[in-house]
Amino acid sequence: MSKDKAPRILKIDILRFDPHDPEDFPSMERFEIEESHGMTLFIALNDIREHHDNSLKYDFVCRAGICGSCSMLVNGRPTLACRTLTSKLDEHITLAPLPLFELIGDLSVYTGKWMRGLNEKLETWIHDKENELNVDKLEEKMEPELADEIYELDRCVECGCCVAGCGTIQMRPYFKGAVGLNKIARYHLDPRDKRSDEEYYELIGNEDGVFGCMTLLGCEDVCPKDLPLQSKIAYLRRMMLKTAVKN
Amino acid sequence: MKQEKLDKTPARLDFTQSITGLILAIFIMGHILFEASILISKEMMYKVTIMFEGYYFFGETYPGIISFLAGFIFVIFIVHAGIALRKFPDNYRQHMAMKRHTLGMKHEDTYLWIIQLSTGFLMFFIGSVHLYMMIAEPSDIGPYASSYRVVHEMLAPLYFLLLISVITHAFIGLYRLALKWGFMEGKNTKVSRARYKLLMRVFIVVYILVGLASLAKYISIGLEHDYSAGVKKYESQTIKMENH
Amino acid sequence: MKVIYTDVLIIGGGLAGLRVATGVKERGHEAVVLSLVPPKRSHSAAAQGGMQASLANSAMGEGDNEDVHFEDTIKGSDWGADQRVARMFTHCAPKAIRELAHWGVPWSRVKRGDHQSIINAQKVTISEKDEAHGLITARDFGGTKKWRTCYTSDGTGHSMLYAMDNKAHEDRVEIHERLEAMALIHENGRCYGAVARNLMSGELVAYVSKATTIATGGYGRIYEVSTNAIICQGTGQALALESGVATLGNMEAIQFHPTAIVPVGILTTEGCRGDGGLLLDKDGYRFMPDYEPDKKELASRDVVSRRMTEHMRKGKGVKSRYGDHLWLDITILGREHIEKNLREVKEICENFLGIDPAEEWIPVRPTQHYSMGGIRTKHTGESQTLKGLYSCGEAACWDMHGFNRLGGNSVSETVVSGMLVAEYISDFLDSSDSDITIHTKNVEKFVKTEQAKLDKLLENEGGEDAYVLRRRMEKIMMEKVGIFRNGKDLKEAVDELEELLKRSKNIDVFRSKSRAANPALVNAYRTQKMIRVALTVAMGAYLREESRGAHSREDFPERNDEKWLKRTITSWPDTEQTLPTVTYEDIDISEMELPPGFRGYGKDMTIHNSATKEAQEKVDSIKAKMEAEGKDRFEIQEALMPFKDILPKKYQGKNERLTERLENE
Ligand SMILES: Cc1cc2nc3c(=O)[nH]c(=O)nc-3n(C[C@H](O)[C@H](O)[C@H](O)COP(=O)(O)OP(=O)(O)OC[C@H]3O[C@@H](n4cnc5c(N)ncnc54)[C@H](O)[C@@H]3O)c2cc1C
Ligand code: HEM
Ligand code: HEM
Ligand code: SF4
Ligand code: F3S
Ligand code: FES
Repeated sequence: MSKDKAPRILKIDILRFDPHDPEDFPSMERFEIEESHGMTLFIALNDIREHHDNSLKYDFVCRAGICGSCSMLVNGRPTLACRTLTSKLDEHITLAPLPLFELIGDLSVYTGKWMRGLNEKLETWIHDKENELNVDKLEEKMEPELADEIYELDRCVECGCCVAGCGTIQMRPYFKGAVGLNKIARYHLDPRDKRSDEEYYELIGNEDGVFGCMTLLGCEDVCPKDLPLQSKIAYLRRMMLKTAVKN
Repeated sequence: MKQEKLDKTPARLDFTQSITGLILAIFIMGHILFEASILISKEMMYKVTIMFEGYYFFGETYPGIISFLAGFIFVIFIVHAGIALRKFPDNYRQHMAMKRHTLGMKHEDTYLWIIQLSTGFLMFFIGSVHLYMMIAEPSDIGPYASSYRVVHEMLAPLYFLLLISVITHAFIGLYRLALKWGFMEGKNTKVSRARYKLLMRVFIVVYILVGLASLAKYISIGLEHDYSAGVKKYESQTIKMENH
Repeated sequence: MKVIYTDVLIIGGGLAGLRVATGVKERGHEAVVLSLVPPKRSHSAAAQGGMQASLANSAMGEGDNEDVHFEDTIKGSDWGADQRVARMFTHCAPKAIRELAHWGVPWSRVKRGDHQSIINAQKVTISEKDEAHGLITARDFGGTKKWRTCYTSDGTGHSMLYAMDNKAHEDRVEIHERLEAMALIHENGRCYGAVARNLMSGELVAYVSKATTIATGGYGRIYEVSTNAIICQGTGQALALESGVATLGNMEAIQFHPTAIVPVGILTTEGCRGDGGLLLDKDGYRFMPDYEPDKKELASRDVVSRRMTEHMRKGKGVKSRYGDHLWLDITILGREHIEKNLREVKEICENFLGIDPAEEWIPVRPTQHYSMGGIRTKHTGESQTLKGLYSCGEAACWDMHGFNRLGGNSVSETVVSGMLVAEYISDFLDSSDSDITIHTKNVEKFVKTEQAKLDKLLENEGGEDAYVLRRRMEKIMMEKVGIFRNGKDLKEAVDELEELLKRSKNIDVFRSKSRAANPALVNAYRTQKMIRVALTVAMGAYLREESRGAHSREDFPERNDEKWLKRTITSWPDTEQTLPTVTYEDIDISEMELPPGFRGYGKDMTIHNSATKEAQEKVDSIKAKMEAEGKDRFEIQEALMPFKDILPKKYQGKNERLTERLENE
């Protein structure tokens, strides 16, 4: 925005619904606000809440694109709202909550609960019963490159964008989605996790797991952390096929 | 460690779907090219035909070979389609969810899948008809016979549809196949994906053009050729066969 | 009334809270964790730079150990810290990091051979030993003698928090998300849990527990611009304060981080400077060496922040529509390094500034970042005045940071204090002291009081707009209780805040009247709490007439050990009070292992305490004598200030290092 140009008036349409109110039904509401320099959707929504409608619900925590709280559909695409600059959008913006997740109200959805269920199902923690840790001793060694590779997959912020961006899971909600598959890829890579290929197969070697993925690649294209989802799902598919053949 | 038996079915199905798709795609790539031999000359097309009928191996033609080949392809086709059926929306709710999702997301690769789904659905019918014909009347292949079918049995529109469907379906399929299994992906998977996508587009365009040209040629032969004496076999200038 | 009983109620699902939960669980006690947000979204996830632990694996960390880490921490604290606590901490940090490695944090590792690095704007080659290959590596951070800050790329807090939360899943810790603790339930100086509000349904729930832990993180959001997450609103400190019994310590000790981007205040990690990034002024001139020739950009945070502010006041700042700022230049590190080790920084620059930090300079300015103060506790994490109430992590002041914390010491503190406090709580639960005697009727009373407060907010008409009050409070804190402080401004701040507090009793939640999920209601009651917390900060700062660590008074520039070697203790015994009650707690020089000295920045302006000299002489003579006797560093330390006996038994063992191997088993 240059100085001499008048700021744009943003027309923001928000899908509103309060599931706690028996008389409410989903509807679009339009808010018009003046754009400011460097404005993000975080700033825009706060502006609306503070000056237009204090009942507007949404979730921000870190407001820095780190925590994964603020995912929503911006013009139909799932993304982190806090790091979306309005200047990169048209002046007409549509916001809607992520589908599939439990709706708390307006733009606020309960991704956390869904993710917890997923983590519990996939047991996303290091399985190592044999190794008793002695905290005084030197830590176990790990190849530096491997550590980097694991971190690369560990960067997922459980924002749910890949879930909202996946057509498969819209049709079949039991599908574990890219987020779940990526987590398995992460633990599969980790030598500290002692689970066997067969045990992993039990977890994802089915239609709700890796064989349910139809390679729509929405996940890969919307993931705000740019995780290598396509290549990791492919890797797991090969692994799981091998495991099936081996047995 | 648990020692239960793994349920291998999902792995098998997924793999079978891919491998049948791959076979079909390779087959079609050849099919359209062989068929395009008509663009060179009738003679060429004839040679290709009798090649498939085994002439160059046995010195004679056996149209049964084509029947057999078509039967084989038919089986693969059915298996492929049967397995693919799993991926179709099972009910109205799923259909609506996918529709809403696709329209909202405006995401290219999701569209590609939708295209595959619909072309697959279409081929289920027209592909079957075509294959059935090839199994039933394998000897009716040749520059004139084929042209007759295209024009006078009104198969041109059908072939047109089939051509568009099968080419898009096959190359989108190959593209997805590569990504699905991580085939030859480089260090930067974004780059390899972009390359595959470009290849996919080029192949679709080239193949459709070639197919359309052949189809046009068949139509023109079909219109120009005099079928008043019935559909007679093509007479080659170079190859003389006694037993016809 | 819904009542949930448990052994330990943990308020806060960040690193500290989760570590307490898994710890008590391991000892066989039930735990419930309450959190405003799913634990993985807690602010701990934002820590980019790293965690300090004296592993001494990397070449630049060689020779590091607990002693060096201890000394850095105490100097950093400007002698405000509790030295025994700092000892406990530095001793346990290596254990905590090894535990986390075992639970899945993929710490960045040492790679054998030569590496290029940038130190003081010069390329240098660092050569790593063969035997260290694959062990946890470390980077340089401000205020440390050795490279001690362990990290996972630049997502340290994220990977720690995820590993911790996953561990909690494995241990089947009960986690109640989107629940906000509203008030402590207590009776006769004993805490029995808390009343919490479900942020989705609005329901009030009473959690009755034998021990209650507050691990709610910091209170940075009382400032207008802060690097903190927007949920860091000090509601945990307010819980303690509003009990009327528990106390807060050193609330005025607020840290400003030198490099938050302008204008939004999102942090770029200290790792930028640790890895070799430079601070430049409007002329592109590197000014830090002029002020701090020795440590330059890597002086302690409070020092760098002040120097930057000073430099901008000289007119050397870059003008922008959001006020002055300076530049952070990391282009010299090269694209490869940035894309690998500072990727989060790169993303932030791209998404919020629209620039590429490998090509362009980053606009930065010192911004509120960390709260050294918090709920005052003993070394066990238990409140000094309210039995059964514990606190740890950033929420607490057990007091290892004193008046300034070192970068990387905070996430480290969360896990160390978490693991220690879990043991102390478990010991408490194992004793008969922990029996619960509160009557249900009294529990109900607390719930009703909270309900009445909410009702009043919703039913009030023609009252104050919470947003207006809150914005004013944020402004006051920003302008008058900032990096440089003075008596006049602080007085005004206290007066104005007191006025706001009075007005806040008459807040009216207009338009949005839902009792369920209702952001306006939430903002209303939090604003009331935040103003109280802000008052303790302003008041403490106003009364403390000296400069120590991050607390810097222009009218009292010297550190005054004679008068002010003490902790500020604030409390709110009567709800009708409009100002907090302030008392002080002396810090005993004679018990120090490291008596007060010069921190080594700028000119030494310390007004020393008369006891300092004597203490120093005593320490020196013990050291000299024992060294002559050939005693090792552990024995000497033990003689100077014993602390092992107060540590839980399982954490008393020595730490192994490459150069300090433990005997077999
Ligand atoms: C941008 C940034 C970068 C940082 N980088 C580093 C670094 O590199 N190294 C370092 O050592 N430190 C760093 N820090 C500091 C460090 O991250 C924090 O001090 C530390 O993570 C605090 O952890 P915690 O567990 O105490 O609290 P938090 O992680 O803040 O967790 C607080 C928890 O309490 C819950 N909660 C709050 N109020 C309530 C309530 N009323 N009821 C119920 N639940 C409640 C929240 O939901 C949350 O789960 C950084 C801080 C910031 C702001
Ligand atoms: C009745 C006809 C057909 C139907 C119903 C059908 C359907 C489908 C469907 C739905 C898919 C997507 C599967 C998925 O998303 O996992 C698919 C994939 C594929 N199809 Fe077909 N198809 C048919 C015929 C063909 C033909 C004739 C070819 C070759 C020319 C072909 C080649 C492929 C390929 C290569 C794939 C990708 C394989 C994979 O994803 O594993 N298909 N098909
Ligand atoms: C072995 C089995 C097959 C044989 C022998 C065969 C043979 C032929 C022949 C001879 C033609 C020329 C037209 C005619 O004679 O009618 C033709 C055209 C065509 N076939 Fe097949 N076919 C086979 C399988 C398939 C399959 C499986 C598909 C796709 C599903 C297919 C798609 C087409 C198309 C699209 C055309 C029109 C081509 C054009 O426009 O140039 N065929 N086929
Ligand atoms: S994989 Fe990416 S899109 Fe999916 S939850 Fe994780 S960060 Fe979000
Ligand atoms: S979008 Fe869905 S279908 Fe697979 S490739 Fe991604 S998970
Ligand atoms: S608020 Fe944390 S990612 Fe947007």
